[in-house]
Amino acid sequence: MNAFRQLVGIQARRTMREPAAVFFMLAFAPMFAVAMGLIFGNEPVAQFGGRGYLDANLVSFTAIIVVILGLIIVPVDILSQRDSGALRRFRATPLRPGTYVAADVLVRFVISLTSIVVMLAIGILAFGARPEGNLGSVLLVAALGVVVFLAVGYALAAVLPSQGVGQALGNILVFPLIFLSGAAVPLDVLPDDVRRVAQVSPLTQLVELLRGLWDGQPWSEQWVPVVVLLGLLAVAGVVASRFFRWE
Amino acid sequence: MSTAIRCEGVVKHYGPVRAVDGVSFEVQRGEIFGVIGPNGAGKTTLLECLEGLRSRDGGVVEVLGVDPEREVREVRRRTGVQLQSSALPSRITVGEALALFASFYERPADWRALLTRLGLEEKRDTLVEKLSGGQRQRVFVALALVNDPEVVFLDELTTGLDPQSRHAIWDLVRDLRDQGTTVLLTTHFMEEAERLCDRVAIVDHGTVVALGTVDDLVASIDAESRLTFSVDGRPPVEQLQAVTGVTRVEATGDRVVVHGNGSRFPQGVLGVLADQDLRMRDLRSDQPNLEDVFLTLTGHAMREGVVS
Ligand SMILES: Nc1ncnc2c1ncn2[C@@H]1O[C@H](COP(=O)(O)OP(=O)(O)OP(=O)(O)O)[C@@H](O)[C@H]1O
Ligand SMILES: [Mg+2]
Repeated sequence: MNAFRQLVGIQARRTMREPAAVFFMLAFAPMFAVAMGLIFGNEPVAQFGGRGYLDANLVSFTAIIVVILGLIIVPVDILSQRDSGALRRFRATPLRPGTYVAADVLVRFVISLTSIVVMLAIGILAFGARPEGNLGSVLLVAALGVVVFLAVGYALAAVLPSQGVGQALGNILVFPLIFLSGAAVPLDVLPDDVRRVAQVSPLTQLVELLRGLWDGQPWSEQWVPVVVLLGLLAVAGVVASRFFRWE
Repeated sequence: MSTAIRCEGVVKHYGPVRAVDGVSFEVQRGEIFGVIGPNGAGKTTLLECLEGLRSRDGGVVEVLGVDPEREVREVRRRTGVQLQSSALPSRITVGEALALFASFYERPADWRALLTRLGLEEKRDTLVEKLSGGQRQRVFVALALVNDPEVVFLDELTTGLDPQSRHAIWDLVRDLRDQGTTVLLTTHFMEEAERLCDRVAIVDHGTVVALGTVDDLVASIDAESRLTFSVDGRPPVEQLQAVTGVTRVEATGDRVVVHGNGSRFPQGVLGVLADQDLRMRDLRSDQPNLEDVFLTLTGHAMREGVVS
């Protein structure tokens, strides 16, 4: 327990000491909301069925945060610590890998969710974006998205050989995934074939789920994205716990 | 005295490389035991097999009575490890690192006192990556001791340290031993082995070529000591040759080299010079050391380019 507390404290401070991590994990989402709010405003437009740009898109920015977290920040940090031998040093102590991972997950979860909440608050309070559904459900799904992509990050860190590979793979995957998710570019503008391919991406499923609940659709219509996300969580969790290694 | 570490026929191969090739020895509790040998001799691999950090291909290992590969947590709890190449998570301070590692154990040592002991108290709030190489090395020594271990493994503990820090760490290791801790260390410095270790194992190509106290090992090779000096006047070669223990005397001009066995002949040499009322200058004495032991036993020098 004492080890867990210490690890939480240290991971939090390590994260806050790295400008890139602070930017991407904490500041990016709120800044993105402000930028979009300033550029597009939230005036009703026909394109969004009489709602404003932020009404229609704010919640989907969440996906940008979680995919950067899961595909770049987490694997690169874990892999660089494995490459440097820092994790190997832990292996020479009684620390259990599970304790280490749990503390790291908790810290990253809290930071990322805080960032998402601040982003939504800015959209709602500063630009007047209004959810039609239940905000609690939206936050629950945002939390689920963070957890799923944290698991993906640990799974990648477990199977990838080095930080360089992790960095490269993350950079290659992140932008297409964001592009195909509809979080940055509306899916309607894409050709049908591309849209069908996009449905395979769990990030697209996360965006659809967030949007559905934000728009007030009932949970009962959301079982496809929920199953996809929970399935990914299970697979990533198993891979991460089976293959996580200190060195 | 009871046995702290026992290994018998330990083998570890990396593909065709026989890094450890049948090593056996016992380390008693409260002993400082040194493993010495040239680069690539297999010291680190052997240590990691004993620590349970590397799985051996064969042989028996017991640390504090248990197999470190089976009773992993028991061994982790009761031993401390300083790895030859090691790292910490980036962006943490010295104090944070010590507090963190202390939290992994039920009864940790007072890590603040450890930092003071290692001359790092002023570096407590410095990021580990901002330390000099020698300071970082001392942090890793502190981490190896943070659980008050019964057995501590130190792989190249003073590499990169200045002489002052090296002596401070030697004192610390001796204190540990005096408190009953067992120390197993590897080193490249013959002086370190000679001054610190109660017993040493000399390792070459994965096997132990000699085992014992430094004095016994040096005595066992029957090597000669040398006394070199200059005299004012004619060197008294015949009288020097008559001194007990002296085997050979070489004189070129006023420069004299006296070869001999045992530790007594230098006194006889000084006596002869005093009798002859000869003044002596530029005295040098060369005792056989572990380098000579290694050279005698293996036929090659411990370090390339060094021939004693
Ligand atoms: N992980 C590894 N994979 C393959 N070969 C290895 C590995 N580690 C060590 N070796 C080889 O095993 C042999 C023994 O290496 P080891 O590191 O144990 O030597 P050492 O005595 O500690 O050397 P040094 O004094 O340089 O630290 C060397 O030939 C080395 O190349
Ligand atoms: Mg070594």
